[in-house]
Amino acid sequence: MDNLDFINSVVTVFGIFAAICGLVLLFAKEPLSCALGLLGVLIFTAGIYAIIGEHFIATIQLVVYAGAIMVLFIFSIMLFNVKHDRESFNWKSPLFLFTSVVTAAVFVLLGRTILQYFDTPVIESQKGIFTREMVTDLGGNSQVLAHSLFTQHFVSFEAISLALLIALVGAVVLAKRKLN
Amino acid sequence: METTIQMLAAFLFALGLLTVIVRRNTIIILMGIEMMLNAANLSLVGFSHYLAQINGQVQVFFIITIAAAESAIGLSILVNLYRNFTSIKTDNAVTLKG
Repeated sequence: MDNLDFINSVVTVFGIFAAICGLVLLFAKEPLSCALGLLGVLIFTAGIYAIIGEHFIATIQLVVYAGAIMVLFIFSIMLFNVKHDRESFNWKSPLFLFTSVVTAAVFVLLGRTILQYFDTPVIESQKGIFTREMVTDLGGNSQVLAHSLFTQHFVSFEAISLALLIALVGAVVLAKRKLN
Repeated sequence: METTIQMLAAFLFALGLLTVIVRRNTIIILMGIEMMLNAANLSLVGFSHYLAQINGQVQVFFIITIAAAESAIGLSILVNLYRNFTSIKTDNAVTLKG
């Protein structure tokens, strides 16, 4: 039980930090500060995944999201030299106030649904077999996930690798300078 | 803990949505899309952990792959946008405006 309390408090602290980094992404003026805010969100999310025991997803999040995709973003910020066109957005304009009210309404509705319907008996009856102890007995999170990935979902796995290859070729073709 | 994770996912999704709507820099719009995808991932992993199932995490694995492909395609579209308008702000790409 003490362990569960520790996990709860770590998840709460990481969640607060991730929310602060998300606010940095929304309000920062320089694109590089926005990129650092997104990086903070991704890293703290990976921390939450790791502390609740989903180690494989945490590693994938760090390597692919916080590694590869962030390098791509920072590289393109450098490439486009966006210092010249800084944001000149008016934070008190009616457009911003209206959209923030709409987004706050979306958030309040989502949160109300979550808090109202979370511990209903319908969800309790849907629980699967992969509890924490069961996953440890089966050889850890990565082994359980890999077994599911290469038996039950192997067609999706192959299809997604093909999609990634097509996206790679498409990105090269799109970014290539036209030959005259 | 479970409700904390779900509320955080909802909050990050709302922030990403607001970023996509109000910012005018195309790179930052792409970052907002990434944050919305990340919030969906967080929600899926939270429910997968809560329900003691593995399918949500397999889904998150696929979503991360698709997000990588999407950001590569999006940034190469940005290269073309910059080549045509010498700027990546959406205010300058107004060719279709009537």
